[in-house]
Amino acid sequence: MRLVVLLAVLLAGCATPPRPPPEAEPKPEAPPVAAPTPKENIAIAGLMDSARTEAAAGNLAGAAASLERALRIEPRNPRLWHELARVRLKQGQHAQAESVAARSNSWVGEDKALRAENWRLISESRNARGDQEGAKAALEAASRVAP
Amino acid sequence: MLRRRPKLWKIVRLALLATVLAVAGFTFYLDFRVRSEFEGRRFALPARIYARPLELHAGLRIAQADVEDELRSLGYREAPPEGDAGWFSKSENSLIIALRPFVFWDGRQPAKRVSVTFEGGKVVALRDATGAELALARLEPLAIGGIYPAGNEDRVLVRLADVPKHFVQALIAVEDRSYFSHAGFDLRGLARAARSVFSDKVQGGSTITQQLVKNFFLTPERTLQRKFTELLMAVLLEIHYDKTEILETYLNEIYFGQDRDRAIHGVGLAAQFYFGKEVQYLTAAESALLVGMVRGPAIYDPYRHPQRALERRNLVLRETRDQKGITPDEYADARSSPLNVSKKTGTGTTPYPAFLQLVHRQLRRDYDEADLRSEGLRIFTTLDPRVQDAAETALAKRLAQYDKEKRFGQQPGLEGAVVVTDPQSGEVQALVGGRDPRYRGYNRALDAARPVGSLLKPAIYLTALSEPARYTLLTPIDDGPFVWKSRGAPDWEPANYDKKFHGIVPLRTALAQSYNAAAARLGTDLGIERVLDNVRRLGVDRPLRPFASTLLGAVELSPFEVAQMYQTIASGGFRSPLRAIRDVTTQEGRPLSRYQLAVEQVFAPEPIYLLAAAMQDVVREGTAQGLNRFLPPETAAAGKTGTTDEQRDAWFAGFTGDRLGVVWIGYDDNRAARLSGAAAALPIWGDLMSVLAPEPLVLARPERIELVSIDPQTGLRGGTSCPGATEVPFVQGSAPSERAPCSGAMDAAVEVVGKSVERAKSWLDRLFGR
Repeated sequence: MRLVVLLAVLLAGCATPPRPPPEAEPKPEAPPVAAPTPKENIAIAGLMDSARTEAAAGNLAGAAASLERALRIEPRNPRLWHELARVRLKQGQHAQAESVAARSNSWVGEDKALRAENWRLISESRNARGDQEGAKAALEAASRVAP
Repeated sequence: MLRRRPKLWKIVRLALLATVLAVAGFTFYLDFRVRSEFEGRRFALPARIYARPLELHAGLRIAQADVEDELRSLGYREAPPEGDAGWFSKSENSLIIALRPFVFWDGRQPAKRVSVTFEGGKVVALRDATGAELALARLEPLAIGGIYPAGNEDRVLVRLADVPKHFVQALIAVEDRSYFSHAGFDLRGLARAARSVFSDKVQGGSTITQQLVKNFFLTPERTLQRKFTELLMAVLLEIHYDKTEILETYLNEIYFGQDRDRAIHGVGLAAQFYFGKEVQYLTAAESALLVGMVRGPAIYDPYRHPQRALERRNLVLRETRDQKGITPDEYADARSSPLNVSKKTGTGTTPYPAFLQLVHRQLRRDYDEADLRSEGLRIFTTLDPRVQDAAETALAKRLAQYDKEKRFGQQPGLEGAVVVTDPQSGEVQALVGGRDPRYRGYNRALDAARPVGSLLKPAIYLTALSEPARYTLLTPIDDGPFVWKSRGAPDWEPANYDKKFHGIVPLRTALAQSYNAAAARLGTDLGIERVLDNVRRLGVDRPLRPFASTLLGAVELSPFEVAQMYQTIASGGFRSPLRAIRDVTTQEGRPLSRYQLAVEQVFAPEPIYLLAAAMQDVVREGTAQGLNRFLPPETAAAGKTGTTDEQRDAWFAGFTGDRLGVVWIGYDDNRAARLSGAAAALPIWGDLMSVLAPEPLVLARPERIELVSIDPQTGLRGGTSCPGATEVPFVQGSAPSERAPCSGAMDAAVEVVGKSVERAKSWLDRLFGR
């Protein structure tokens, strides 16, 4: 085993000569959110479709149920949380809409557009609750993310 | 004398009139009762409670054997691919399932055929009968019990049209041959009944109508007056209702025996209970067995007296043939078939009484008890039978082992409770209330409030980490001797578990090693009220005494409450009330209420992230290291052990990527159990989770959190050239700015080499086939 390691170090040494690093500062790494599956899960796509159809038909409870069903399959999918926040907003559940959008933001990773969308949704629900100050702050957060 | 006669006559006449009036009145009263009660009579139907449905989709991590188990417990038969719904056929790596139709809360799902392909413990493809790709296939949910009417009467209503002809023929043949012609009673029947005392003929005296009246309106005493009333009511019933209505009611009323505390009523439930099928699929032989039981469900119980039941069945078949109810061929066929009853599950009203108690309590907030016991509501819950079974097994197995290890085995033995939830949604997947999971009594998961010990510590560290300017994971904390003086109370001097003090340690080490003095000092520095306020925000509703000792867990919580508290940590600071119910519908499937996924952000994401990362350290290198015997390191589970004074209570609470679990064990009478959370509760958690192959815990890293390489010697910024350097998360701007002496320009170079070594190693490993 030791021999193998030694050999490996030698090999590695030959393969890549050490180079001085351009920058020793720790770089902010890629966010730890699981990378989206190469092919979008068709179960998720199907449930999102039915949620949209249901919402369009005014069946908001049904839409929420479909999204919750999808979230049981992919609880870390920020798009699903976002869609759920949208439905909650339409249902007039403003506090829920805001929390669910924030939940979406916790899984959003590098998707700046979605993060901004969530902030705008939060702004909208704060507005609906009469919290103009908070709504403004959320809108500013949105434009900071994706100006 | 002469003068008296008219008076006597008058008395007689009056008496006669009174009698006629009384009889008329009585008849009138009976008629009223028959009409009003029969008309308004709706069978009290129990609320039926279902587990979560298993949803199959490509990518689902589940073994083929687990799907097969689920199908078997749903009563699916293993059969070749033909015939009706309700079977599956398997081959290597794939299943064909003929799904039964089922009415879900979001509508009816028709019967359909699905083929499922598995690979590497996953579903890789899902197709319908035509071979087209399917997005989802939802199995029907397992019925796990009910909330029953008085007497625990259970039934599944059927229409007469759904009952096979041969069943009705057999019933008529043995119970009431002239049913379709008599007027409610049968003189020949009565005569035969009298004669039957001296013969072994099967006919009884009462008509079907009389039997129904007896069951419906009357008490079981045997008096002449009652017999007369029964007769009268039977006639009245026949006057008001037609034969098919009476027969249908009868079929739904008859008693078919006991399943422990549950009374099996009606042919619909009897078909399910004895044969695991819908009533329309009953064969002639099966029908005859059930008809034979009508006279004495206990005497002809096919499980306890199979021979007697078989003889009785054959007698019924013979009578049916003699009455031309079945052909001689059908008779020969049926006679030669075995009893064919399904394997007895014998779970009574429910196999999961502890979980049902939780469901019942949550339902009672919104529904009348009377409605729950009579309206036939359908309750769709969150229980995952696979998780529940794993939790029950893990608890029972370990408790038996611990009892045995205690050489002077005390009675009663150790007890325990387990709660498992989905950390993202707060859905309760399993609840075990004691070591005998079938016991319908004291539910420790919900009702045993026990001191939680160190399980409360995360709230202290969360409070600290909410102030990144003052506290990071590396902030030095003093674990020296600590005395807390307060007026009117004795001094409080918490000792450590190992009876030592450890001096100055980094904050995350204080949590990982569960140092008491450090936690007490930190908590009192921060302010007891502030910490307790955070305990409440995490989801603990119980009043908390504002004492310093509360910080170290001198507070009694149930395992369920602990689960609620840890739920908030596991879901990134979003509190979701723990839910056992998803939907409630009427008997027909009309939605009544949805219990929606509700979240409330109660903490900023950054301190929760830091806390959860520190709780991963508890498992990686702290008091819960033992977990690494159960789960691979990449699971990166987070958790906390808890042990109370004299080891009366042993706790472990923790979470992975897809499950949160809380385990408590101790004695009901509060004796010292002499078991620690790490030694006794943790292995139960480990057993349970390892069976379920948990998903790794990947914390959602907030934007404002950065990972910084830290030299463990100095606690300063390090690099790979610092031995043992690790990446530690910080809120931006709170990491140390100073560099450790060991970190230098060579760092990154070594890092590159290191990576190449990894690569070369794996290349060599492949070469040598290891």
